Amino acid sequence: MRVPSQPLRRRGLLTGAAALLAAGGTLAGCGTRAATQTETGCRSEDRSTAEQKLTFSNWPQYLDVDESDPAKRPTLDAFVARTGIQVTYTEDINDNNEFLGKVQQQLASCRSIDRDIIVLSDWMAARMIRLGWIQQLDPARIPNVTANLLPSLRDRSFDPQNRLAVPWQAGLAGLAYNGSVTREIRTVDELLTRPDLKGRVTALSEMRDTMGLLLQSNGHDPANFTPAQFDDALAKLKKAVDSGQIRRFTGNDYTPELARGDIAACVAWSGDVIQLSAENEKIRFVSPESGLLLYSDDTLVPNRATHKGHAETLINYYYEPAVAARLAAYVNYICPVRGAQAEMEKIDPELATNPLIFPGEDLLRKATVFMALDERQERAYESRFQQVIGA
Amino acid sequence: MRQESPAGDLRLANLTKRFGALTAVDDVDLTVPQGSFFALLGPSGCGKTTTLRMVAGLEEPTSGQVLLGDRDITRLRPYQRPVNTVFQSYALFPHLDVAENVAFGLRRRGIRTVDEQVRRMLSLVRLDGHDRRRPAQLSGGQQQRVALARALVNHPQVLLLDEPLGALDLTLRRRMQLELKRIQTEVGITFVHVTHDQEEAMTMADTVAVMNAGRIEQLGAPADSYEFPATAFVATFLGRSNLLAAEAAGRVGADVPVTAHGARFSLPADRARSDRGAVYLGVRPEKLHLAGSADQVPHGHQHLDGVVTDASNVGVSTQYLIRTGWGGELAAFAANNGLGRRFPVGASVLAHWDPRHAFLLPREPGAADRSAGLRDEPTPVSS
Amino acid sequence: MSPVTTSARRRLLPYLLVLPGAAWLGVFFVVPLLQLGAASLYDPTGSLSTGYALTWAFGNYPAVLQAYWPQLARSFGYAAAALALALLLGYPLAYAIARKAGRWKNLLLVCVVAPMFTSFLVRTLAWKTILSDHGWLVGLLRDVHLLGPNGRLLATPVAVVLGLTYNFLPLLVLPLYASLERLDHRLLEAAGDLYASGVQTFRRVTLPLSMPGLIAGTLLFFIPATGDYINAELLGSPNEYMVGNVIDSAFLVRLDYPQGAALSFLLMAAILAVVVGYLRRAGTDEVWR
Repeated sequence: MRVPSQPLRRRGLLTGAAALLAAGGTLAGCGTRAATQTETGCRSEDRSTAEQKLTFSNWPQYLDVDESDPAKRPTLDAFVARTGIQVTYTEDINDNNEFLGKVQQQLASCRSIDRDIIVLSDWMAARMIRLGWIQQLDPARIPNVTANLLPSLRDRSFDPQNRLAVPWQAGLAGLAYNGSVTREIRTVDELLTRPDLKGRVTALSEMRDTMGLLLQSNGHDPANFTPAQFDDALAKLKKAVDSGQIRRFTGNDYTPELARGDIAACVAWSGDVIQLSAENEKIRFVSPESGLLLYSDDTLVPNRATHKGHAETLINYYYEPAVAARLAAYVNYICPVRGAQAEMEKIDPELATNPLIFPGEDLLRKATVFMALDERQERAYESRFQQVIGA
Repeated sequence: MRQESPAGDLRLANLTKRFGALTAVDDVDLTVPQGSFFALLGPSGCGKTTTLRMVAGLEEPTSGQVLLGDRDITRLRPYQRPVNTVFQSYALFPHLDVAENVAFGLRRRGIRTVDEQVRRMLSLVRLDGHDRRRPAQLSGGQQQRVALARALVNHPQVLLLDEPLGALDLTLRRRMQLELKRIQTEVGITFVHVTHDQEEAMTMADTVAVMNAGRIEQLGAPADSYEFPATAFVATFLGRSNLLAAEAAGRVGADVPVTAHGARFSLPADRARSDRGAVYLGVRPEKLHLAGSADQVPHGHQHLDGVVTDASNVGVSTQYLIRTGWGGELAAFAANNGLGRRFPVGASVLAHWDPRHAFLLPREPGAADRSAGLRDEPTPVSS
Repeated sequence: MSPVTTSARRRLLPYLLVLPGAAWLGVFFVVPLLQLGAASLYDPTGSLSTGYALTWAFGNYPAVLQAYWPQLARSFGYAAAALALALLLGYPLAYAIARKAGRWKNLLLVCVVAPMFTSFLVRTLAWKTILSDHGWLVGLLRDVHLLGPNGRLLATPVAVVLGLTYNFLPLLVLPLYASLERLDHRLLEAAGDLYASGVQTFRRVTLPLSMPGLIAGTLLFFIPATGDYINAELLGSPNEYMVGNVIDSAFLVRLDYPQGAALSFLLMAAILAVVVGYLRRAGTDEVWR
């Protein structure tokens, strides 16, 4: 018998769709649970004595590589040779927010992210610390840090005892200009108002750096300011955006435009400018009289990481001045380790005198670490800032 | 029906079209009288469609002229010519309904009130009430009639029909042939009809031009061309013919004697297209009669001997194949009118004909007999 | 096999064919969509650390609309401008490839698609170089006084619209090409035979018959262009930011999920409204089956 094939019935399909919707609705649930963890609520086990293993996630090009053999990482290989700890090193962090998105679910519910050490920017480190996602280090096991950490990076408000976030590298946010398309620039106000720069200025979309410089230019302290002071600085920024002075807000992507001269002057990070000026000495980093922002990228040991002991050994190792100097000679950021400058003279005397790798006391005095924000403040300030920068 | 005012015959003067090395239309010269139903008949690839497209303006002639009355329209764009076409594929606009398809040409010429004309035209092709349908909702025959209405509504001076019935089944085709003829009589427009179906051409046309390999082999009333073809091609393409390779040696009085396969025949001189050298002696199968013995052959008929090798009854007639003494084959159709005798396969017969029904055609020296056989379609001469 | 099972099979078959696709859509589209819908109604004072409660806070919608309507409007404005430009470029292009290119057809098609082989980001970054203040294009425009001596293209609406046009052009051209390629040339001959000039043939036959491709291409172009934020981010300035930039920042920088979700839903609803309105007008009657 031949039975004609039946067409799809609208009602059948609708029933199916409704069932799907209902199932989805149940899954979608009613809100999210609090993501905050506590030391007692989320315990981590340290298996360092049993396992000679360590998993380390970092940003690309943030660890020295042998120039003749890219597979070799001299300082890390030396660590493995010395301690016998097998390090799994992955360059899988490209963006703070993106990485947060990747690990948020696990950390919010006290599950492992399968990494013993991660490196994140200080403000993200502060956020994770606030959420209780980071393990405390044992000061006794990181004596080099206690001894050699630069004073400017000590006792930060989100880590008053220096036990949670140890700086990997640091950097300054200040101004930069391209001398082949404009004359020298010295102050933030010049950047925001000088008519010949109109439409050829960028600022960083990183709120702490841009707003920190503006607060300083108003004579306020980014480490300790009031909402009213923030609003003053924001109004100043808004004026520059509305007048068309500021062309756009950038991440790292300002560098090619600054090199080409599309951007004449901008808010910039010191590490980027070192690299640009190596190719074109007309590109200069400027530290405004009113001050600079000091930021760092910090090593963190997340909850449920199972090799905290080895992590401490590695962090301590990188605070040996000789190791720190070799790392700094490769990455060109500000070295957070005291005594590394002396070691650098043996490697590359020219780098040893570069104030953007080893800033002098006077420069460091002008540099401030942005105030730690609680979640409510962060949301409020970030929203207002985002509104001014257009998003 | 409104008559187009300044009349004119359609005239093709030395019209030639070459595609690269191929000559599709070769120096064609012909006149289609105004108001006539003209058929261009030929096998596929003979150049008839190319000729039509040059008249429509869809193809540019390599040389020669297309004239309408005194007006040279050779270089006019298609939309500037008072000529419309019914395409083989109909080419109805799928996004427009029937009424809008029909109104298309009127609207393009800026005519605003089209409803009445469209309605009358749809009624002429018997499609009243179908005006809101889309072409995809119509049968093949209905689509064909829309295509016809769409062209006719413009009152062209010449209507070109490019195998318009080719896609229809046999019954529908017969009906549409009569319908087309009726409409042509009614509107009085010159119709140029391209077809490879000789029956279709003969049914409808006042004048038939038989085309072969880019040239016109014979032009005339269909019955005349049938009765007295001009070439071997026409004799076999327009109906069927038994053609015997023969030699002629000129007229003797009012007759032309010929020799074929050792036998002698003759026919009236006015039935000879050629009376000297290599010729074909031609007899249509229905003019070839069979007799059991010599005494049954009517006086004045000529005959030759043969054996029946095949006899097929197709209802109205019985079609015989006769093998001749020299191994050739002849076809003979006998009407099943209950008068004649039937011959079984294997029977010895005399095939006879009235010399006034035979004809003599020029033959390429060395070319052999051509039997009307049991073929349905003649072999195309060129591709 | 007994007739009964055959019959049952035949009845079930269409549903079985729909099932994998429906399941895929269910798991990866419907569920996340509902989650997003729920998130748009979370208590706006919630946070990552305290958690979000579903309080059916419909007020999120007017709030984001009030705060971000300029970006929303800009998204549609830029996408529409880019679409207009893309149609001007893309229709003749698709037409030429489909009907005039002959043996170059495939090569030209590859050329249209080739930019898609590289990353969206890289393509957009390349435009930064092309539109650079010191690039040849701006130089040329300044020389012919289309731009003032200090004029620029980067960080202007022009750059964003150009970027959108370029990045999504293939999505418009390909379906258009497909429908123009299918177009029966005999219909064009018929139109010519029926007194339609070249322009009239295009308007009355070619254009309506390419409508299915035109509609598909327009939607494929317009929908992603409206939601795009890369072009505004890289080629524009804060004054050119589109709603995508705001959503990006709400989810990734500000961690304001209710706002981000509400804005996403508003965008979706707005696009849906535009599409439905468009199909109502251009669709049903004009698209022949």
